[in-house]
Parts: sequence; C-alpha cells; structure tokens
Amino acid sequence: MNGRSEENLKELFEKFVASEQAEKAVEDIRKGEQILRDNPAPKPSDELIAGIKSEIAISLLHKKENAIRYTLYKVAAVAAIVFILTAISIRFFGKGEETEKIMYASIIPTAIWESDDIAADDVELAVLTAEVEQVADEILSLRMGGNGGNGQSAITELEIELMEIESDFWKG
Amino acid sequence: MVESNSLAEVISGCKGGDAECFSQIVDIYASRLYGYFYRLSGDSSVSDDLLSELFVKLVEKIGSYKGGSFESWIFRVATNIFHDYLRGKQRRKKLLEARKKQLKSKLTEEKRSEAEMLDRLQIQLKNMDTDTRELITLRFYSQLSFKEIAEMRAEPIGTTLAKMHRGLKKLREMME
Repeated sequence: MNGRSEENLKELFEKFVASEQAEKAVEDIRKGEQILRDNPAPKPSDELIAGIKSEIAISLLHKKENAIRYTLYKVAAVAAIVFILTAISIRFFGKGEETEKIMYASIIPTAIWESDDIAADDVELAVLTAEVEQVADEILSLRMGGNGGNGQSAITELEIELMEIESDFWKG
Repeated sequence: MVESNSLAEVISGCKGGDAECFSQIVDIYASRLYGYFYRLSGDSSVSDDLLSELFVKLVEKIGSYKGGSFESWIFRVATNIFHDYLRGKQRRKKLLEARKKQLKSKLTEEKRSEAEMLDRLQIQLKNMDTDTRELITLRFYSQLSFKEIAEMRAEPIGTTLAKMHRGLKKLREMME
C-alpha cells in the first residue's frame, strides 16, 4: 500500500487505536480537510506560469551550451593527450634517432662519433698529429733546400701523402 | 491525476532536456505546489518566487530523480526550498530585530491590516506551529499517502497520523 488511492485510513488508525476511536479520527481528518477544500488557495497567475516556462527554456539552453562546451573541452583534452603521447613515442621509440644520426654523420666521422673509447681515440689522434707534423717538417726542410735538386717532385709527393692521411682520418 | 505511465514518459523527456515535457510538468504540478507554498508562507509574492525557484531547480535536479514516487520527490524538493526560504527569513528577521523594536507600534498596525487581507483559513494556519502547518498542507496539496509522508518526514507513521489528527481537529475548532 503506497499511493493515496489505495490507502484505507480507518485500517491505518486501527493499528494504533481502538476501532471506535479510529472511526472518530478519520471523521476528524475528513472534516478538517473539508475546511481546506472550502477555502481554496489562490492559483498561480498565467503570467507567472508563462514566466516559469520561459525560464525553464533558458535554463535548458544554458544546460545544452554547457554540455557542448564540456564535450569540446573533453575532445581537445583527449587530442592533446594523444598528441603528447605520440610525440613522446616518436622521441623514445621511433626512428627519429636515426635521422639525427645521419645528420651528424655528414659533419663528424661516424667512427669517432659512435666510439665510446676516448683513450683509443686520443691515441689515434696523437699518431695522426705526429704524422702530420712529420710530413710538415719534411715539407719545410724541402722548401729550405734540404733535398738536393729533386725538391719540387718530393714536395708534391708529400702533399699528396698528407691529403691521403687527412682523407683517411675523416673517413674513419 | 496523470497516468503513471504517461508521467514516466514525461519525466523521461525532461531528463532528455525536452522543454515541452517540462512544460507539462509545470501544468500538472504548478497549481498544487503554489497552493502548498501559499498556505505555508501566506504571501503570494513569496509563493511566486518559490514556485519559480522550484521549477528552475527541477531542470538542474531532474537527473537525480531515480524512480519511485515523483510526487513524493517533487514535494520533498518543494519542502527543502521552503525550509531554505525560512532560514533566510530568520536571518533577515534577526538583522531587523533592533529596528523592529523601534517601530513596534507601527508594525502592529500594519500587521493587522495585512491579516485582514488574508483569508480566514490562512490566519488560523499562521497561528499553528510550522511543523503541523507543513504536515496539513503537504497532505492536502500532494497526493501522498500517510505512509509516503511519514517516510519523507523520517518519522513513524503513528506520529504522522497523530499530528495530523490533532492539527486538523485544532484547525476545525479555530475555524468554528
């Protein structure tokens, strides 16, 4: 028993008071409610009802606007997250690193760039420097006339040798 | 009274943001809710405001209605709105208390003339305590059973019945 239409007031009162008293209570309630029926409250004006309906329409409009704005913010946030995740993935897991490596390799010898053995690299550099210096000394001595009469061809040979050394070094 | 099936459809439409369905809810409930507010406040201007507030709140809160008696739900919202109004009124009353003392004689005169404008029932309802007035008006303007009213008020049904009986008997005596 939930709705008022199914309500039996007398039975309800009889749960708490005797049948006679219950009947009297029901009668009191009926008469009391009759007073309220005989003195009806004023009705809301038509203007008020129209005003309420238009207020509801405005509220619904705002609600829809907010829902659309919320959806747009959500889509933008998801797009931003996807973009960031993609960028991070490419940076750490993608092939971007190889592209960078090729770029550097065109400027610096790959053998040196990739090498982690600084001590070994230093030794090679020292040997190369010594070779270059030796050849330079030889060129200087030839120019000073320290090689008999065949100076010019010897200089040319040394210069070729020097270029080869340099070229070998930069090739790795 | 609206068929419960068609009311369920209207409520479902309201949840979907259909203005026409809200309009139907206004048509179904506005008159009774207005009467409820009027008999509680005794002021048509306050009743206008409270009724507007209720329906605007309904747009926001309709999603929180999860089934059960809609009648009970909407009258609970109305009761809460009236209680908020009372709390605000009491705050304003405290602020004006000092000034009221100064203007006591004038106010008594005004009160009398205001009371003369109200109908006889309203005057007697104003003389009753708020709780009984609320119970009588809720029972009269809603279609709620005593069981539903007792549940809403979180009190045993025997208490609700006894208060209602006492209240209406007293009202009848005062009106005679």
